[in-house]
Amino acid sequence: MRVLVVIPAYNEEESLPAVIQNLQMVCPEYDYVVVNDGSKDSTAVLCAQNGYNVINLPINLGLAGAFQAGIRYAQNHGYDAAIQFDADGQHLPQYIKPLVQKLAEGNDIAIGSRFVTVKKPKSLRMLGSYIISFAMRFTTGKKICDPTSGMRIFNRRMINEFADNLNYAPEPDTISYLLRNGATIAEIQVEMAERTAGASYFTMVRSMRYMAEMTISILLIQWFRKRELADKSHKNKGEK
Amino acid sequence: MLGTVLRIALIVSSLLTAGFMLRHIRSAKVQIKDSVFWIIFSFFILLLSLFPNIAGWASNLLGIASPINFVFLFIIFVLLVHQFYASVRISQMETKMKLLAQQIALDEKDRQDKES
Repeated sequence: MRVLVVIPAYNEEESLPAVIQNLQMVCPEYDYVVVNDGSKDSTAVLCAQNGYNVINLPINLGLAGAFQAGIRYAQNHGYDAAIQFDADGQHLPQYIKPLVQKLAEGNDIAIGSRFVTVKKPKSLRMLGSYIISFAMRFTTGKKICDPTSGMRIFNRRMINEFADNLNYAPEPDTISYLLRNGATIAEIQVEMAERTAGASYFTMVRSMRYMAEMTISILLIQWFRKRELADKSHKNKGEK
Repeated sequence: MLGTVLRIALIVSSLLTAGFMLRHIRSAKVQIKDSVFWIIFSFFILLLSLFPNIAGWASNLLGIASPINFVFLFIIFVLLVHQFYASVRISQMETKMKLLAQQIALDEKDRQDKES
């Protein structure tokens, strides 16, 4: 199975070298691509100097747009699976292989989850996670222990869906939508590191906004989406 | 009935709106198709203030106590509809911009890979 590790990076010059080094050491068998999301620091220069495989977006698109660029790259180059991998060092590469294994077992999506065997802490920080979990359970009947985990791997079928369609941010509401439309999902227990450098994107206000958006999207909006079959629309792509 | 001062204010502001939009067209800062809405909008406000009987008749018809409330309702409603279409357009524009940026980056990447 050809696997592409997609690493969206926005102003991650401090943490990126260690992440790439670690990744190549632990799983040299997987290709990777850094998606430099219009960084204002010297991420682009750094990538060029070290010869990283990098896509440089001319403007900042945000996580969803950057990830989609990586997914389109995976689609154009015929990868069987693509995994979303943080550039800040939170995701650990030793868990990629077990995630790939879950796809090999026939799942469409696999999530590296912090709370499969470990109990989710009952803290204010996790309140959003609980609410989103509940919303997903309520609408799909599936239990997702760690819906906000950014460590997700997608098979070819999902790559095609993500590459071509609008409203496919790699977020819980999209996962929820895909689940309802027959995608299969697996979760494995992973550990995550604290971020090695830089500040988290998620401030208090942003977290609350994110949570509200996700909950409304999962509970209400997803019912009204029209099903677009990627298998059909995908044919003859890449020849253009 | 609409008060005289209010009518004058409405006339002045509708003329200003139209003038402002036309000036932007002259200096090529806005597309004509986007300015049409504001020209028509200011025309209707002008109409309402020049002929206050229209507001009186409409508020009677809708059971609104005072004609001025009809003027407010009318303006709010028209602006809401416009805002709705603006949201849709921004959404579509963001999607197109995203696609373009990705395409540029991917093409550039392919070009560099071929060179090396």
